[in-house]
Amino acid sequence: MIRQDVEILLVEDNPDDVELTLHALRQERLANHIEVARDGEEALDFLFCRGPYAHRSFEQAPRVVLLDLKLSKVDGMDVLREIKKDPRTRAIPVVILTASREESDVANGYHLGANGYVQKPVDFDSFRNLVKQLGLYWLVVNEPPPPAAFQEK
Amino acid sequence: MSTDTTERHLADEAARRAGALDRSLIEAGLDPLVTIAPDGKIIDVNNAAEKVTGRSLQQLIGTDFSDYFTDPGKARAGYEQMFREGLIKDYELQIRHRDGHVTPVLYNAWVYRHEAGDVIGVFAARDISERKRAEEEIRKLNEGLERRVRERTAELQATNTELEAFTYSVSHDLRSPLRHIDGFSKLLLEEYSADLPEDARRHLSRIRDATRRMGMMVDDLLNLTRLGRKELSMQLTGLSSLLEEAIGDLQPEMAGREIEWRIGKLPFVECDPALVKQVFADLLSNALKFTRPQEHAVIEVGETTQDGRAVIFVRDNGVGFNMKYVDKLFGVFQRLHRPEDFEGTGIGLATVQRIVHKHGGRVWAEGELNKGATFYFTLEAVESRPGESNSLPRGAA
Repeated sequence: MIRQDVEILLVEDNPDDVELTLHALRQERLANHIEVARDGEEALDFLFCRGPYAHRSFEQAPRVVLLDLKLSKVDGMDVLREIKKDPRTRAIPVVILTASREESDVANGYHLGANGYVQKPVDFDSFRNLVKQLGLYWLVVNEPPPPAAFQEK
Repeated sequence: MSTDTTERHLADEAARRAGALDRSLIEAGLDPLVTIAPDGKIIDVNNAAEKVTGRSLQQLIGTDFSDYFTDPGKARAGYEQMFREGLIKDYELQIRHRDGHVTPVLYNAWVYRHEAGDVIGVFAARDISERKRAEEEIRKLNEGLERRVRERTAELQATNTELEAFTYSVSHDLRSPLRHIDGFSKLLLEEYSADLPEDARRHLSRIRDATRRMGMMVDDLLNLTRLGRKELSMQLTGLSSLLEEAIGDLQPEMAGREIEWRIGKLPFVECDPALVKQVFADLLSNALKFTRPQEHAVIEVGETTQDGRAVIFVRDNGVGFNMKYVDKLFGVFQRLHRPEDFEGTGIGLATVQRIVHKHGGRVWAEGELNKGATFYFTLEAVESRPGESNSLPRGAA
């Protein structure tokens, strides 16, 4: 199977957050292949196999998308909306990972079909622990969607 | 003198006398008075009518009554109705003076039948300029008031929206750099610990402590502002059960300590249970914190009356505070103790006050250094029990 090539798509525009999250994931040796999208457009190009990612196929979907909400170009909520409205991407688990704890963001996220909502804690130890748990759950515990889940019905 | 002549003379005399009577009656009125024939032609007017139209008796007689109003059609409809129905009451018209000046009047008119059988209409006008002016004044004042209310409301809404945007950006933008400072200083400590001198490691842990502290303050501040926006969800609640829950949640803070709880009977009140539980949690957490130096801590919760009002109180035998600083107690980030002695961000009592105020209640405190503190609060529902006086509680603040 080739669909495991990218296990986690991290959609995050802040380089500090990217580095700390990657550090936490690598330290726990949970993910070997992490793709980082630095804005919403890049994330959509990757997931919809277009532009620089035209060689990819929908069946190579990541096991989980960790999605920040505040992104340049295409906003995080819009990325989520695009993923969940298309039958070819709908099955990809998306976990919102953001600094915001605004009730409206949490509500909107779930309304659009997010599979989880996690607030980044200020404390790095807590953050690292949280990233570890997320990785454990989505890459080890959770049964990923089979290829049939990505086909148009 | 022939009979004819005599009769005519008598008739003339009667007519003259009647005319004199008519005139004196007409002139007796200070209000403009006009008599008209059924075809609307003016028969007679008084002095006041001459003044209000700016025309003399000679100029007016024989002309059309309706010509002297801003709305001749309405004037004609008025006298037609009067001749048809016998009278009209408080009929509103506006008389136009020759110089263009307009006088608003209310007409009362009735049909008058001369002995000779002629039917005339008598129109008496009441000048209502003063009343109109007052009405206009009130209308303008109301309009001004409404406009000011609208402006203020818009201003307040704008401020609120601004505040919400600010809260959001604090939540998102301030927390992120804090997380980065904490993260990278932690990585530095972990990965380069061996290369760092003792002092450098100590400095780094102080950076992390300060970061964590600021993180807590930002979170507490966010909770406080979120509280301001939250709608109360009121339900009849037994305060005893809320207190029990709050004490249960605080078990970890009581580990290994000798605490004597004195819990009195508490009432049922209409309140937002989640928020009032937080009031208890904050007050009890303070009581636990500030009794820590005591070997035997005593925390008392109950209901009392002050000046005839039902008041809930939380009392402890802790370190207390100097009443000199009581005003600072409920301020955001205000602390009366050194952080080395008692931890905390200084937002607990500000939160308590926000919740109590949202319930229409009042919170105050009494204390003495090294002798303990008592916090009192009322909730609107507690205060409005029938049969109790409405005097204000005597506050310490």
